[in-house]
Amino acid sequence: MLILTRKEGESIRIGHDVVITVVEVRGNQVRIGVDAPRSVQVHRAEVYDQVVEQNRTAVQSFDRSAEILRTQVPPKSP
Amino acid sequence: MTVETPSDNALHFPDGIPGFPGLTRFALVEVVEDGAFQLLQSLEDENVAMVVCVPWLFFPDYAPELGPDDQEALGLERPEDAIVFCPVTLEPESRSVHVNLLGPFVVNRQTLVGRQVVLADSEYPVRATVDLGAA
Repeated sequence: MLILTRKEGESIRIGHDVVITVVEVRGNQVRIGVDAPRSVQVHRAEVYDQVVEQNRTAVQSFDRSAEILRTQVPPKSP
Repeated sequence: MTVETPSDNALHFPDGIPGFPGLTRFALVEVVEDGAFQLLQSLEDENVAMVVCVPWLFFPDYAPELGPDDQEALGLERPEDAIVFCPVTLEPESRSVHVNLLGPFVVNRQTLVGRQVVLADSEYPVRATVDLGAA
């Protein structure tokens, strides 16, 4: 991992169009600004990781799940 | 209520989906006719598929709010143009399913472009439990 030391108000540029700025440092909390194109999804890592984990679980079990749903769950009337 | 996308119409996820970033083309396939659950099947890797459902079948009060970035990326101007479905995992022993309300798939009905949005500022759980009842 690349580690850079930055002060409040200083930035890091990633690629051509993503800029990370240290907005404020207060105690053990850091406020970070992210300037990125709208096509780049920006998320807190722990939230994104939950979605990744749930997607992987869903994909790992899809064949068994689909089979169970096919055989055991009746069609739902609207 | 079913998802009104013919299964032969490919959905395009330009950003991929979290955990499977390289896969961009998917189809929605019925698990059973008129059933509550569909399969989101990758058209590029046959081993990648997941069960999904329309969330309002089980969570009628679900109200996902898309941020401006997601709306713009999807070219969504009207809520009725959005097709929404959520990842499902199954607990066969307990006859319950878990629906991911935190990370719904949203597809523009007009363009069939979609992405999995992460409703990070919402209180929606990544695993909401639905009891399927007795067999």
